Amino acid sequence: MSDREKDKDVQSSQPQRSQAPASGGGGGVQAAIGKQLKAYYDDVASEPVPDRFLTLLDALDKAESASKSSSRE
Amino acid sequence: MSEQADFRRELIGIIPNLRAFATSLTGSYDRADDLVQETLVKAWDKQNTFQPGTNMKAWLFTILRNEFYTQMRKKGREVQDVDGVHAMQLAGHPEQQGHLDLQDFRRALDLLPDDQREALILIGASGFSYEEAAEICKCAVGTIKSRVSRARTRIAEILGVEGDGDYGPDSIASQIIGVAPAA
Repeated sequence: MSDREKDKDVQSSQPQRSQAPASGGGGGVQAAIGKQLKAYYDDVASEPVPDRFLTLLDALDKAESASKSSSRE
Repeated sequence: MSEQADFRRELIGIIPNLRAFATSLTGSYDRADDLVQETLVKAWDKQNTFQPGTNMKAWLFTILRNEFYTQMRKKGREVQDVDGVHAMQLAGHPEQQGHLDLQDFRRALDLLPDDQREALILIGASGFSYEEAAEICKCAVGTIKSRVSRARTRIAEILGVEGDGDYGPDSIASQIIGVAPAA
């Protein structure tokens, strides 16, 4: 699963910021939060488009061209 | 015809982002995809209002967000799951098991007020500018900035508090805060 590998990468490549102060929300903390946020989002965003949406767009396309051609006649 | 094909192609390219944003709004993968489906139908119906060359991603996010809040208003608070259910549904996604760090982060995200969470996602994950996010959320740029800032502070607090021993050594909190989890 490339998604998982990517997530792991995101996690393991997190710089060690153990020097960052535990309080105060310094830059290290916020950088780590930013990476988690991206990992959370990309977990879904990196999935291929489910077929149901392609099927839906096909159906919408067909319905529209059908109504167009019938209204022209 | 080719304009239609372009519209369709661009639309499909944005679906992964719509799904991710919808997941963050609804807290449920199934409801997220239902929301994306409704968004696509709406977008298709009003595609003549979209101006080619302008930001389709922002346009679609606006439609999705409006649809989400319209549904919330219609169905009342029942739509918004209590936090526990929210987190459980996400944890139930088969591909997510074993992602302890990500689950901790999700739980923290779920504890944020809706307006802060969506601002954080739009800026920190979806890649919008503050100006674009302000347009999507129909508020001032300064409001988005302060929501994002409060969201970040709050997440750091939540993870800091929760990292005190409940989640073991893999906890995001220990990575983020840089303290060793209590042994």
